[in-house]
Amino acid sequence: MKTGLSYAPPPMSHTAGLLPDETAPIPPDAVAARWLLVGAPNVGKSALFGRLTGAYTTVSNYPGTSVEVTVGVHDLGDETMDVVDTPGMYGFLAVSEEERVARRAILEGSGQTLIQVADASHLDRALPLTLQLLALGRPLVLACNLMDEARRRGVAPDLALLSERLGVPVVGTVATTGEGVAALAEAAHGAPVPVDGWALPQPFADVVALLSERQEGVRLLDAELALCGDPEMAPARSAAAPRLWLAATSMRDARWGAADGFAVALATARRRMALALLDGVVPDAPPERRARRAALDRVLLSPWTGIPLVLAVLYLGFYRFVGHFGAGTLVDLIERVAFDRWLTPPVTAGVNALVPWAALRDLLVGPYGLFTLGVRYAVAIVLPIVGTFFLVFALLEDCGYLPRLALLLDRGLKRLGLSGRAVIPLVLGFGCNTMATLVTRTLETRRERIIVTLLLALAIPCSAQLGVVLGILSVYPAAVAVWAGVLLVVFVVVGALAARLLPGDPPSFYLELPPLRMPLVRNVLLKTLTRVRWYFAEILPLFLLASVILWAGELTGALRAATHAIEPAVRLIGLPDAAAPAFLYGFFRRDFGAAGLYEMARSGVLGPAALTTAAVTITLFVPCVAQFLVMRRERGTALAVTVLVVATGVAFATGGLVGWLLRSVGGWA
Amino acid sequence: MKCTMCGTASGCDGCPIAGDFYLPATLASLAAGEKATVRRLAAAKGGDLRKLLALGLLPGVELEVERRWPAMVVRMGFATVALDAQLAEGVIVSRAA
Repeated sequence: MKTGLSYAPPPMSHTAGLLPDETAPIPPDAVAARWLLVGAPNVGKSALFGRLTGAYTTVSNYPGTSVEVTVGVHDLGDETMDVVDTPGMYGFLAVSEEERVARRAILEGSGQTLIQVADASHLDRALPLTLQLLALGRPLVLACNLMDEARRRGVAPDLALLSERLGVPVVGTVATTGEGVAALAEAAHGAPVPVDGWALPQPFADVVALLSERQEGVRLLDAELALCGDPEMAPARSAAAPRLWLAATSMRDARWGAADGFAVALATARRRMALALLDGVVPDAPPERRARRAALDRVLLSPWTGIPLVLAVLYLGFYRFVGHFGAGTLVDLIERVAFDRWLTPPVTAGVNALVPWAALRDLLVGPYGLFTLGVRYAVAIVLPIVGTFFLVFALLEDCGYLPRLALLLDRGLKRLGLSGRAVIPLVLGFGCNTMATLVTRTLETRRERIIVTLLLALAIPCSAQLGVVLGILSVYPAAVAVWAGVLLVVFVVVGALAARLLPGDPPSFYLELPPLRMPLVRNVLLKTLTRVRWYFAEILPLFLLASVILWAGELTGALRAATHAIEPAVRLIGLPDAAAPAFLYGFFRRDFGAAGLYEMARSGVLGPAALTTAAVTITLFVPCVAQFLVMRRERGTALAVTVLVVATGVAFATGGLVGWLLRSVGGWA
Repeated sequence: MKCTMCGTASGCDGCPIAGDFYLPATLASLAAGEKATVRRLAAAKGGDLRKLLALGLLPGVELEVERRWPAMVVRMGFATVALDAQLAEGVIVSRAA
């Protein structure tokens, strides 16, 4: 290797400590069990994963959407290969939950071939991680993705030269078109274990070696991270003998001051090595022609123009497209035409002709029947609304608007104890609160996760709810304004209170801004489809279950009793008793409850004041069963129950207040 | 430009006394459009430091501030990152002449 790097090749014993099995290097033919895709966010890792596997997970322009490790299968013809997509990571010194997940996936798995995906335009940012991966002594391939962008910018790297220097295959790819994907698969199939000599540079190696040389179980990387002050690496620290730990930290502190200084010096050394490796590989960048993009970014990021733009996006994308087109036109089309005219009559007739028992007939096509209620609500009312929402969300995601929205709203969200990053789960919550509660994992601190979970459960209406509520209220524009205003006030007040009451440091905001890109139709459609499929698989069983419970309740009289039981609460906020069933449905799904209101609005049972009150209460009301279950899983039973109690209290208190105000203002029949 | 230490009109280039001398400034203090080189990271908390490292704000990196409001937007080569003023306080830079 002629890399011009000035560090000594480490003794063999050091690298051996890095291998999962401390004895010998893994033979190349025994390792081809799995491919592990790793790399920074925003480099097209998930898109490449989609290309390699044919299966599709969510491809994202936003750092933080692929929370979970996803597995697919690559077909090699005579054999298949499991491909694992890990969350984005910048380096082994983890900051976020996702980075920890990615780190674990790499360190815990043994014998996999690592495929590092990098943005071909900024290899200088990717190579420090490459150096760390090389030191693991596992088969490695470097995929330089987004080659088309790099070529356009005139910074396309010399792949052959880089491959020669690194001693591992380097392949150029364009995930969006599929260019280079076959070559990548081929390279990964025969990827060699990198040659020795990639361990830590001096003088870092000496310090780290103190911890790993005579200590079984303390691997070099663990030792390095422990010395960098990574709190998760305490086990590595306690595994080392106290004497050695003291020796290593004294040496570290004498030279670099403390853990932070050591971490920075090491990162700086790796960056220098990366730059040396790239010398002659990447042409000097000509001045970038980015005037148009910069101008567009100025418009998006300046609050003066950015905030009106957010409102315009909300109005056009969500109010007009989701609210009117999805919840209006599409629902009408599917419900009134497809179901009421074509599907329901023959199904009902068929069931009536074939099934002799009335109770069973009711279970299928009665007022709470599996078909008439479960399937019809899911397909006719909820699906079009959720589908149109996810389409808009995928569009915003794919063009890179979401990180800019995060930046724009960071200051405002700080007042609620959140950072700009929280906009992703919050906006996604307008689609599906359950999915959004899952996505709160991407937030950095437990404090932020709790605040967002609470706000999602309380003040963010999911799209099905939103669509139905907007549908009901659209006859009275003033009612929409009151409803939205009340939700906003509750959102801000509850957020600000939570920020004051919950202990912990205020969050900090940091984010990579990917370039604005034209959204790709294929990406957008596939993302939408993936989410709709997830959503549907999750809700249809619940809708069916709800149907069965309601049917059983009707049959046994329990439903009547339960309805009676909540009538006082409903009356308390000034609603007629007929609204009680809608709240009962709300326990099963929030949108389900809203859909119940929809029926009542259409049949004219509720006036504008009562409708507004009902809409506010039901929006704030308890989260749906699915959301509750996810809250419990992610945040624990105690918190989930607390949220439930707080949401119910706030919902009825606010509902009562709004109802009283509207009635006393007058003019609201 | 005059030398900031002794006042020599030719500036500090090649000065044997100043050596690697620079006038420290925090990233948070830079105006939009200003260019600088990262010299040192001085984040108060270890967590903040790791965030700066994740963003690629390392000693030796050259950057340009694109905007400072509502948050700092900093360009490094072809990469653009955003961070709040509090984090930017922990990045010590020297302004490009």
